[in-house]
Amino acid sequence: MSMHNLNKILILGFMALSLGCKKEKVAEFGVAEQLIQDERTSKIKNKSEAEYISILYTNLYQKPISPNQLFKTQTVLVSIGDRSVANEMLLSNYFNTGQVIIPSDADMRNDIDAFVENSYKKFFLRYPNEAEKLFFKNYIGGNAKVSVEMVFTAMSVCNEYQYY
Amino acid sequence: MRRKEFLQKAGLGVAGGAALPYILPSGSLFARGGVPKAEHVVLVMFAGGVRQQESILQRYLEDSQGVSGAAGNVMFNLFDGPAPTKKIVYGTDPAGGGTAGSVPIPQLLGSSLESQGTVFREVAAQSAGHYTGQTVLVTGNRSAAQGLKVRPNYPTIFEYLRRHAGFSATDCWMISSSLTNSYNLLNSSDHPDYGLQYGANMFVPGVVFGSYGREVLGNSKTYSQEELGPMYFMKNFLDKSFGLGQDEINTITNTDEDKTRIKEFIKYIYAKQSSGQIASPPVGSGDAFNISYGAEVLKYFKPKILTVNLTGVDTCHSNFTGYLKNLHRADHATGWLWNYIQTQIPEMAGNTIMLVAPECGRNLNPNPILDQNDWYAFDHSDRNAQRVWSLMVGKNVPQGMSVGNEANPVGRLTDIVPTIADIFGVWDDVKNAGLVDPMGKSLFERI
Repeated sequence: MSMHNLNKILILGFMALSLGCKKEKVAEFGVAEQLIQDERTSKIKNKSEAEYISILYTNLYQKPISPNQLFKTQTVLVSIGDRSVANEMLLSNYFNTGQVIIPSDADMRNDIDAFVENSYKKFFLRYPNEAEKLFFKNYIGGNAKVSVEMVFTAMSVCNEYQYY
Repeated sequence: MRRKEFLQKAGLGVAGGAALPYILPSGSLFARGGVPKAEHVVLVMFAGGVRQQESILQRYLEDSQGVSGAAGNVMFNLFDGPAPTKKIVYGTDPAGGGTAGSVPIPQLLGSSLESQGTVFREVAAQSAGHYTGQTVLVTGNRSAAQGLKVRPNYPTIFEYLRRHAGFSATDCWMISSSLTNSYNLLNSSDHPDYGLQYGANMFVPGVVFGSYGREVLGNSKTYSQEELGPMYFMKNFLDKSFGLGQDEINTITNTDEDKTRIKEFIKYIYAKQSSGQIASPPVGSGDAFNISYGAEVLKYFKPKILTVNLTGVDTCHSNFTGYLKNLHRADHATGWLWNYIQTQIPEMAGNTIMLVAPECGRNLNPNPILDQNDWYAFDHSDRNAQRVWSLMVGKNVPQGMSVGNEANPVGRLTDIVPTIADIFGVWDDVKNAGLVDPMGKSLFERI
C-alpha cells in the first residue's frame, strides 16, 4: 500500500469517527426517585414469645419488661393453643392498666398521615406504602369510633408484627 | 306446570339437596347423612406410666413388693374386683389421725366403666416413654423417631378430624397437664399435608387458670362487638398485606367469632374460680385439677373431641406409695369425668364415647429407691413397660365385654386414632393418608 492511499484511509477513518460521535441527551420526566423495596421479604424470622412480649411491652410502656414478668407472660402465652387469642388478651390487659404511653385519639385525628406513619415505624420498623396509607387514612377518617387502642391492637396482633 | 309435574320436580330437588355432597377442607367430598357411632369423643390419656400388675391385674403389693395376701383392686371406677384388705395406703388420711391413706375413696360410679363398656386387657404399647407414648395415642403412628421439644412428626387425630370430617378448631380440644415433656405441642403436628392449620385448641390449665394466668390475663378487657369489628377489620387488612403463607403459620387459628368465645371462656373461668364454682372431683389431685378444667371445656364448648392427659402416677420413679395414691385418684377423677358428662352436660349425655388408655406401663423389676413404707420404686424402660390396657365406654360400645388377656394380647395403642376416626366415620380417609401404623385397627374391628 502506497503512502498516499494510507493517508486517504486515515483521513476517512477520522471523519467517520467524528461524525459517529454525538453528545448524549439527558431525558428527564419529572418523576422523583423512589427506593423500591419489598418489606415483606426482609422479615423472614418468627419472633419467639420472649421477643414478642419484650418488644410489645417496650413499645407500649416505653420501658423494658422485668425478667420475672417476662417469664410469667411467656409461660402463659405458650399455654394457650391459639397464640392470637393469648396475644389479644395480653394486649387488652396492658391497655386496661391505664399505664401504656400512647397518643390520644384527638392527636390521631388531627394528623392521621403522621399517626399512620409513626405507627408503622413503631410497630413494623418501616414506612407504610401508599396503599397502606390510603387504607388507614380512609378507615380512621371515615369511622369516628376507631380509637388509637384499636389501631395499636390490630398492629400488635397482626402477622407482620410476629416477624422480624 | 301441572301439580303432579311440580311435585315430581320438587321431590327430586329435595332428594338431590339431601344427597348433595359438600366440600371439606381436604378438598374431598363427603356425602351428608353419614351416621357416626357417637357425636363426641373424650380421650383420657391415663398417663404417667401404669403397671399392669397394680392396675388391671389387681395385684396391689403382691407382685411389686412381695407382700403375701395383699392383692386387690385400687381402681374401683374403671375395673371390677374386690379392694385389697391389707396395708391400705392409697386412700385419704383418716380424720383425727391414723394410718396415712388408709381410707379408700368411695366408688363414684354405680357400676365400673369395665362393666359399662369394653376393656382390652392386654395391649401392646409402642413406647416405654411418656412423650412418645402420648404421641402414639394422638397420632396412631409408632412415632419411633419422635424428638422432644418438637411437634409430632405425623398428623394428630385433631388434624385428621378437622381435615376429613370438617370439624372447626373449637370442635377439637386438648387439655395438657403441663409444659414439660412437650405435652403442650401435641395439639398439632408439623406434617406438611396437615399441620397447624388443622390443629386443636389447647390449654395448660395449671398455667392459664393458675396464678400466672390470672396475673397476666385476668385484667383483660371485654371488648364489645362494635370495638372488635374494626380491630379485626384492620388486622385482616394488615395480614393480607403481609401475605403469610400456609407453611409459615405458627399457631392454630380460630375464626374471629370463636376467638371471642375462647376469650369469654377464660374470663368466665376466672369468675367461676373467684366464686368457688369450678366443678371438680370430690378428692383433689393434680390430675383431678386437669380433669376438672377439661370438664369445664366440655360443658362450655361441647366439642367433638377432647383429650386430657394425666401424669400423677409418675411419682412411681421414687415413691411407690405416692404412685398407688395417684393411681387411685386418677381412677376417681376419670370416673368423675364420665359421671359429669352423663349428668351435667345434656348435649353429650348418651351421645359420647370415652376412651381410656395409659401411654406406657412400668418395669417388671424395681429400682433401688425405697419410700416411707420401705417399698421399692419402678421406672419404665423394659418389656413390661410396653404392656398396657385400654377401655372404651359409651354410645354403641358393647357393654361388659372383655377382650384379650395376659396369654392372648389383643390391640395396640396405635388403635386409638383409628378408633376415633372410625367413630366419626373417617377411618378410610385416615387409613388412605398412609401415615398411621399399618398394624393399627379400630377397636371396633378388634371386637
